[in-house]
Amino acid sequence: MASIGKQKASNLDKSLSKGKPEVNVATFALLFSEIVQYCQNRVYTVPELQSKLAEMGQHVGTHLLDVLFVREKGFKREIKLLSMLIFIKSNFWKTVYGREAEKLEQANDDERTYYIIEKEPLVNRFISVPKDKGSLNCAAFTAGMLEAVLNGANFPAKVTVHWHKGTCFMIKFDESVIARDKMIDSR
Amino acid sequence: MSRQAARTGDPRKVNGELFTLTYGALVAQLMKDYENDDEVNKQLEKMGYNIGVRIIEDFLARANSGRCNDFRDVADVISKVAFKMYLGITPVVSNWSPAGDEFSLLLENNPLTDFVELPEGHDSLNYSNILCGVLKGALEMIQMDVDVKFVQDHLKGDNITEVRLKFIKRLEDAVPVGED
Amino acid sequence: MTVYDFYLFDRNGNCLYYAEWNRRKQPGISKDEEFKLMYGMIFSIKSFINRISPKDVQDGFLNFRTSKYKLHFYETPSGLKLVMNTDLNVGNVRDVLQHVFSSLYVEHVVKNPLTELGETITSELFRSKMDEYVRGLPFFAPKAS
Repeated sequence: MASIGKQKASNLDKSLSKGKPEVNVATFALLFSEIVQYCQNRVYTVPELQSKLAEMGQHVGTHLLDVLFVREKGFKREIKLLSMLIFIKSNFWKTVYGREAEKLEQANDDERTYYIIEKEPLVNRFISVPKDKGSLNCAAFTAGMLEAVLNGANFPAKVTVHWHKGTCFMIKFDESVIARDKMIDSR
Repeated sequence: MSRQAARTGDPRKVNGELFTLTYGALVAQLMKDYENDDEVNKQLEKMGYNIGVRIIEDFLARANSGRCNDFRDVADVISKVAFKMYLGITPVVSNWSPAGDEFSLLLENNPLTDFVELPEGHDSLNYSNILCGVLKGALEMIQMDVDVKFVQDHLKGDNITEVRLKFIKRLEDAVPVGED
Repeated sequence: MTVYDFYLFDRNGNCLYYAEWNRRKQPGISKDEEFKLMYGMIFSIKSFINRISPKDVQDGFLNFRTSKYKLHFYETPSGLKLVMNTDLNVGNVRDVLQHVFSSLYVEHVVKNPLTELGETITSELFRSKMDEYVRGLPFFAPKAS
């Protein structure tokens, strides 16, 4: 990627900023709005639109992961499932959305499944879904981010978005994650 | 195990990195979809235009800035109020043309390009081209036809990022059918 | 005191939104026809007022009244036009119309990615917020019907 032989003052030479530069929520909302419309024009169905948004969210998530661990955790990684989830609920959410996620719950009947529930996630704040697209939830973008962060931190999982008590992110971990966690526990 | 969520942060603000990376994801997607820098530039400008015609309404609703008398007023409001409000930066207004119908915005820090390095072979990509569209769209809504383009870009090795605005003409209100 | 109806026009004269509350009598023409007449009149009054004014125009056209109703007008610099008809006892509603623009239109239409600007507003959210806001106005007190 880096170009050689050309005198460029690269952004990569700058150190990672510590602060949190902020932009107006309207700026983000309008940018996101264009993204939704762009994706919408290139797909035919609601699930396709959601997976397109998730894809872009993943792009953001992968890049955010490094920033997060370097800054929030002093280069250390999480290895325990539960502490990773709490990291997501607090550090990740705080960095990205300025506050903790509202709820984190485990499914009653499945140890692989966890839920993060938000009444009104940022990306949905300005969206009023038309009746013919009832199931559309643009927080698929956030789900994509989550998935990329989890996968990048070596907690392979599928994250999907659902309308339930607001917006519910369903995190379904890979078998291997659960097995590994049990192994760490037993040591 | 749900805990009471601590509520902090300003709900009117969004993390700048989320914004920067989201924009990055968009540009990356466009580059995948179009594979041609000029097309990407055009698409970015178009999206910017759409944002511009919306953001101006938000601006008018919030900024309470009075009417601008001339293009110099406009330049001032764009840099000191609008950029400040939406991107948290204040570009320097400079390089006025003698006739006062052209000026440049100099951006020392461009929040769109934190973390960005242009890949090899994309010399004609104007990564931040969305800004041109935004300015054009917003100004058009308040009856100003303005030409906006990048003349220097930090990402391309220039010392500074410079956006040039040229006033073309005043637009008139649409006349309803059957009137004149 | 009460509110009869409300129109929202974009800069090209398209009626983006219309709602009525205590309007008892219909004009007997199609809504499209009515919107066109309304916009045409607003447009003409505006230019008439600007042209006839003996001094530089400050606020321009704000409202007019007949013996039955009062028509209030507010235009944003971006050419969005808001029209509200009320009964005669209602005072200046400029801040009300400004609120409709800045807190309802901008928040729920402009920032909603699923709306196309310049097209009729179909957002349920906007419709319900608008209705709630108008019904909550101190001068909105419909006579029991």
